[in-house]
Amino acid sequence: MSTHDDWVRFLAVPVAVFSAAGAVHATQYLSAEQAQKLMFGASAQFERRSLKLEKDVARDIEKFSGVKVRFLDVPVWQVSDNGKPAGYFFVDEVYGKHEFITYAVALDADGRVRHVEILDYRETYGYQVREAAWRAQFVGKSFADPLKFDADIQNISGATLSCRHITEGVKRILAIHDRMLKKAQP
Amino acid sequence: MNSPLRVRLRSVAMSALLGAAVMGAFATTGRADEDVFGYVKSAEPLPKGAVEVTQWFTRRADKGTGHYSALDSKTELEYGFTDKFSGEIALLGQSIDTSGIMIDAYVPGDKKYGMKFSGIEGSVKYNFLSAAKDPVGLSTYFAMQFLTLDPTSGQDKDTWSSEVKLLLQKFFFDDQLIVAFNGGIESTIAKRKPIDGLPPDFEWPTDPEVEIEFIGALGASYRFAPNWSVGAELLYEEEHETAVGQERWTIQAGPNVHFAARQWWATFTWLPQIKGGGSPYPGQTDTDLHLIEKTKEELRLKIGYNF
Repeated sequence: MSTHDDWVRFLAVPVAVFSAAGAVHATQYLSAEQAQKLMFGASAQFERRSLKLEKDVARDIEKFSGVKVRFLDVPVWQVSDNGKPAGYFFVDEVYGKHEFITYAVALDADGRVRHVEILDYRETYGYQVREAAWRAQFVGKSFADPLKFDADIQNISGATLSCRHITEGVKRILAIHDRMLKKAQP
Repeated sequence: MNSPLRVRLRSVAMSALLGAAVMGAFATTGRADEDVFGYVKSAEPLPKGAVEVTQWFTRRADKGTGHYSALDSKTELEYGFTDKFSGEIALLGQSIDTSGIMIDAYVPGDKKYGMKFSGIEGSVKYNFLSAAKDPVGLSTYFAMQFLTLDPTSGQDKDTWSSEVKLLLQKFFFDDQLIVAFNGGIESTIAKRKPIDGLPPDFEWPTDPEVEIEFIGALGASYRFAPNWSVGAELLYEEEHETAVGQERWTIQAGPNVHFAARQWWATFTWLPQIKGGGSPYPGQTDTDLHLIEKTKEELRLKIGYNF
């Protein structure tokens, strides 16, 4: 057997070891239900809406936000508190560097960002987007605001891709609200 | 009967299967910072405080005559000193199995040994522009290397090299497509050890030789699914030596596949020589390739782990 056949067999050893090691799961920080309570309070009521984007609407939203609309079905909940409209709750996904980040955006009744929370983070780096100070930059932002990355939304060095993608994602959520939900509000 | 093409394809397929098995073994639901290319360098540095260990294996084979196969090993430790500056040190190893080949001044005879220490390497990378937020990513890369073994012949040879490169990178399509370009220069001074028992007319210079190499590399990698990317790389090398002027030039190109998990990643690249020039060895039949200091086939597997 040649020297190199020895090395092929040598590589099989760590392959076998790590195959048996089992999977490491992504870190889930919050479920959607936990995020709903955190963002709107325990007394709020959540009604799941069926929101399907038409392709021309999706194109407009892509053009505005600068980010692809991956899913035409948008998970959104209409929120009410004491019988009065309180806003909307969205669950969305964007790529970090190579894996999806699952996050939630709460909009108040005026369509302004009330809260952003990271639900699942699967990357080794870039987790600084979970820092409350960074997410607080989105509070109060509306469709009319530029939400320009590295300008009114500051970057975190070492987490640039995650920061940029979440910024684009929130911008996309605001555009979806403006096109699909704002006019339909009671 | 095993035709040369079938042997070549079987070798690539076996290596690819092994590479895929390695990648699949590390399958998790997460992602790490990683090299999506085998040969092209990205412009992104490691984040501050990040530590990454990468094991490289490069198989070089087939000079078109006799038997030639070599396996290079590189065990690399990289650290992010700041979000813009990272450094790396590496231990190098080599195994070789060559027989039936004698090339004046390059391959003095048969040589066979298993993996052994062949040198050390250190490098630094500084990021000026981030591909993630600037129009293009731009970094500079500087490396120094000391080898004790000649990669071509496997003989004892002390080689000191320094390399400087400009690294460019850009993202496209929501960052699913990465395109990177490297341009650089490597300068080398080498000295062979004398060998007893060579034929009297065999040329084996032991005076120091100085070489300068120009390098260009281009790569594209597309993330087609979470965890998985496929791409292609192209490598151009042109070497000049004091004694002969332009000694060789080669173009290598081929596909790669990349898999990344939360802590681990792996990249497998097949980079055969497509075209080459410079002096052929006497009797060389593949005259559109350079087969003295390069081979027909190269396969590289890189496995990285982030702490």
